[in-house]
Amino acid sequence: MNTLVIAEHDNSQLKPATLNTVGAATKLDGEIHILVAGENCDTVIQSAAKITGITKVLAVDSENYTHALAENMALLVTEIADNYSHILTPATTTGKNFMPRIAALLDVAQISDITGIESIDTFIRPVYAGNALATVKSSDSIKLITVRGTAFEPAITDNNNAEIQTIESGDNFAQSQFESHQLTLSERPELTSAQVVISGGRGMGNGENFALLEAIADKLNGAIGASRAAVDAGYVPNDYQVGQTGKIVAPDLYIAVGISGAIQHLAGMKESKVIVAINKDEDAPIFQVADYGLVADLFDVLPELTELL
Amino acid sequence: MKILVAVKRVVDYNVKIRVNADNSAVDLANVKMSINPFDEIAVEEAIRIKEANKADEIIVVSIGPKENQETIRSALALGADRGLLMQTDEETQPLAVAKILKYVVEAESPDLVILGKQAIDDDSNQTGQMLSALMNWPQGTFASKIDLMDNEVNVTREIDGGLETIRLKLPAVITTDLRLNEPRYAKLPNIMKAKKKPLDIQQVSETGIDIKPRLTTIKVTEPAQRSAGIKVSSVTELVEKLRNEAKVI
Amino acid sequence: MANYKTPLRDMRFVYNELLDPEQIQALPGFEEISSDLVEALLEESARFCEEQLQPLNRSGDEEGCHFDNGNVTTPEGFKEAYNGFCEIGLNSLTSDPEYGGQGLPRSVATFAEEAMCGANFSFSLYPGLTAGAIHSIELYGSDELKKTFLPNMVDGSWSGSMCLTEPHCGTDLGLCRTKAIPQDDNSYLLSGTKMFITAGEHDLTDNIIHLVLARTPDAPDGIKGISLFIVPKISVTKDGSLGEANGVSCGSIEHKMGIHASATCVMNFDNAKGFLVGNLNKGMEAMFVMMNNARLGVGIQGLGVAEASYQGAVEYARDRLQGRALTGVKNPDEKADPILVHPDVRRMLLTQRALIEGNRALAAWVAFELDVSHNHPDEKRRKQANDFIVLMTPVVKSFMTDCGSEVSNIGMQVLGGHGYIRENGMEQYVRDARIAQIYEGTNGIQALDLLGRKMPEHFGRNMRPFFHAVRNYIYAKEMNYELKDFLIPLAKAFGRLQKITAVLAQRGMKNPDEIGTASSDYLRMLALVALAHQWARMAEIGMQKNKGDDGVFYQAKIDTARFYFERILPQTGALFATMMAGAKSTMSFNDDAF
Repeated sequence: MNTLVIAEHDNSQLKPATLNTVGAATKLDGEIHILVAGENCDTVIQSAAKITGITKVLAVDSENYTHALAENMALLVTEIADNYSHILTPATTTGKNFMPRIAALLDVAQISDITGIESIDTFIRPVYAGNALATVKSSDSIKLITVRGTAFEPAITDNNNAEIQTIESGDNFAQSQFESHQLTLSERPELTSAQVVISGGRGMGNGENFALLEAIADKLNGAIGASRAAVDAGYVPNDYQVGQTGKIVAPDLYIAVGISGAIQHLAGMKESKVIVAINKDEDAPIFQVADYGLVADLFDVLPELTELL
Repeated sequence: MKILVAVKRVVDYNVKIRVNADNSAVDLANVKMSINPFDEIAVEEAIRIKEANKADEIIVVSIGPKENQETIRSALALGADRGLLMQTDEETQPLAVAKILKYVVEAESPDLVILGKQAIDDDSNQTGQMLSALMNWPQGTFASKIDLMDNEVNVTREIDGGLETIRLKLPAVITTDLRLNEPRYAKLPNIMKAKKKPLDIQQVSETGIDIKPRLTTIKVTEPAQRSAGIKVSSVTELVEKLRNEAKVI
Repeated sequence: MANYKTPLRDMRFVYNELLDPEQIQALPGFEEISSDLVEALLEESARFCEEQLQPLNRSGDEEGCHFDNGNVTTPEGFKEAYNGFCEIGLNSLTSDPEYGGQGLPRSVATFAEEAMCGANFSFSLYPGLTAGAIHSIELYGSDELKKTFLPNMVDGSWSGSMCLTEPHCGTDLGLCRTKAIPQDDNSYLLSGTKMFITAGEHDLTDNIIHLVLARTPDAPDGIKGISLFIVPKISVTKDGSLGEANGVSCGSIEHKMGIHASATCVMNFDNAKGFLVGNLNKGMEAMFVMMNNARLGVGIQGLGVAEASYQGAVEYARDRLQGRALTGVKNPDEKADPILVHPDVRRMLLTQRALIEGNRALAAWVAFELDVSHNHPDEKRRKQANDFIVLMTPVVKSFMTDCGSEVSNIGMQVLGGHGYIRENGMEQYVRDARIAQIYEGTNGIQALDLLGRKMPEHFGRNMRPFFHAVRNYIYAKEMNYELKDFLIPLAKAFGRLQKITAVLAQRGMKNPDEIGTASSDYLRMLALVALAHQWARMAEIGMQKNKGDDGVFYQAKIDTARFYFERILPQTGALFATMMAGAKSTMSFNDDAF
């Protein structure tokens, strides 16, 4: 049977995690179709058709999907779910919002945040904030899965021309409606999907010094994070927090500056591909997980690093 | 206005968990258990709504073995009015939990159900969404602000890259995110009073709900430990390594 | 480092297995205090102490209190923490529910108090002194005084202080000079200077209720002419609201070795309006009843700070890689073994542990008897409990604070240079712990109280409950072969204690200096036997449960007991020899040669 990937996008472009999800789908059998549900999202539909491995794009253009509200997404997907053995979507706040709703309507389990695929019915997923990995086997006829993007290679997007099939809009769920959003006005990528994250800890001394990190983030197109200690000290807002109680990140490059490396923090970043630690305390636990450690005063290092990049 | 809050008993967030010897599960023997932190936020939010005179009654429900009574009591000590334990010793996965909660919702007819967005043990993040689907109610997940009006509620949600506000008609299901509130400490006299608040127990086996797990855990392993890499002696060396060895910049 | 966690597991063991929760629940007034309720209360108390008080421990030590023109400001965060503390009811654990207290048994509250002291010793003194003042008013105040002052003190919006010491009198309060002149309206005007007044002035509460020892104009000389007065910082009007400032001011605060976040004040009373508590010239009596309670509290301070130090030391000993084990490499993946493998480090950690857990068990027993002495329906049993407390109060105060100092010093030693520098927090425990040996009656005075007063009183009646309990335990278990490693040394040490008690009683009748020279050694010996008794009981329970659920915990009880019996209890032999040697070498020394 075939696999359906539900694309995540903002009506103008695909979110990168979609490509990783397609990457995960290639490890399963059968064709891969991709559903693009949105409003005035033609560019997204076109770019979805270019993804290597996709054989069909299901496109639906309706105001019901402008903001990917879970209720409407669920009504739409349940209509077409029977055609698929697997339905995958990125484990982002959007996917986590609608996927369990679809699962309940179909009376199947949902498998959250997978980081590995053992076979068509067996998957690996982190539990206990990543402190253990569970291998789970599904007995349902349709497997509904959210995919941790950082765990899978992204699909390539250059040389395909998949069939585009327009499908009908589902019903509108009237009891729920979008009011507004306040997106963080930042040139920077979002913390959980950035390829480079540079985080500051208590060693930063105060909030103003985070400007030193921004200079580097600008050069690397990275996002800024922080340890809980830095958040608790009031240097930066809570949504910067990387860690068990904050955001889980797994960028290609994670730079920890003035962070000692409490277990709490490590749980949020240890899946990063390359970890750099800059700390003047050579015994700081962060060095035990760092690929590259630099024992030095961050106030000397950061300007020099900005210069060299 | 009646609010139902669902709470789960989980390994305390301070506990460093270990996988058991035969790799079948996480070792839970003699481990400190507590109310799931996100559920505690849900309880706190319900209490704040009641304190603002927008709700009359808060019912706390938990699903699991008899020890879950302690978890319910701790929510009663914070200020919930009465408790309900849906007792079972079987494993309950999110879909089963949602079905049991549906049963409770149909019996209690709350106007609002608040749950934590996820439990810190299985990290599923599903139950609230599933319950609202089964009830055919609107859902407001990952809430960082709840603004309750007559027959409607505005929910500000934590989404990747910012916040989103949606408007839901009641009854509705809301799941909590970290920033929604900071739960209070239970006052000691209230811990004592909580002992006298009503706590009903109902056997899940007597409800006829199918709670058979759909997922079987084949094994549980420790994640690969990262080993320490190398120390570099200068910023120049660091940049060189990142460029040429790790190839990440 | 210095990340204190309340030892809830051990507290649960002591409460549920060493004490008898059903007996506590059977006491009138405690019917609702079930084991699971105690568990919930302690968990929430512990959480507050760890999350709210502990983070202020080091910052409070660094910042200290500020004095500016009579005003005292506590370190940053203390006021918010104090408000939260009172809001959840931690300030009034044992106070009378009639005035808004929690009415908990002392045998429960003692664990919460330990958690406060472990998390933040300095902080614990603010509510601690209030609790002492409340207790005095509860026992001796008129109904009107109770009605005027207690509700606000119990809910924490007013705090209390105990004003005893004056610049020229500390231990000998009979020298007290502060004057109280009677007025027509039954009040008094007090004038004089008090010093070393903990929480005499601060910014945590709207009002401070001072309990002041003073002398009326025609009072007899010495200790028999001292009366106790309530003197509020701000007068309380008839309707209970705050009126004008009273003639009370803070002259300065002390710069101390430790407890920096606790304001230790010089208090000046200048025609300050006060009200008599209890009877005229009976102030010391009121003070002493209160002190039995407070001295157990001071012992608990020693215990709390010792536990905090132990935790820091263990954590460091696990992490610090240094040298190789004497018997070969234990940690081949690293360049060195954790220092936990080294015998001397293990000696230090086990010494800490054995003293801490032994003291926790002993303190719980004393706290339980305190509950019995107040609440038991049978007068005979109440009296017996009271005898026990009278005897054990100086023991608990002295020995547990001596251990607080000893154990926190060991903790610092485990960290070596890293313990001596400030940033790891271990040296703060040493500095903080030190005061508890000094205040609330120095430990030397406590020892003299034990041997010179408590022991001979009523022909030795005070000794009976303790001596009988140990003897009965030995008799009851002597056939238990498994316990022989514990019972034989216990019996031996107990025999020494009995013998030296008889010897000293005899010698003391001829020469009181024999009592004075032996008293500190005697107190320590009695305490070591009391701990041995507790350790034998703990080992016995350990043996029943070390194969079952949580067997590691119970096996550790047996193993720590073994360490205690083999490596600490033998000190009683040396103490015995020291005391037998008598007073001569101490007292015959030429004063001019010092």
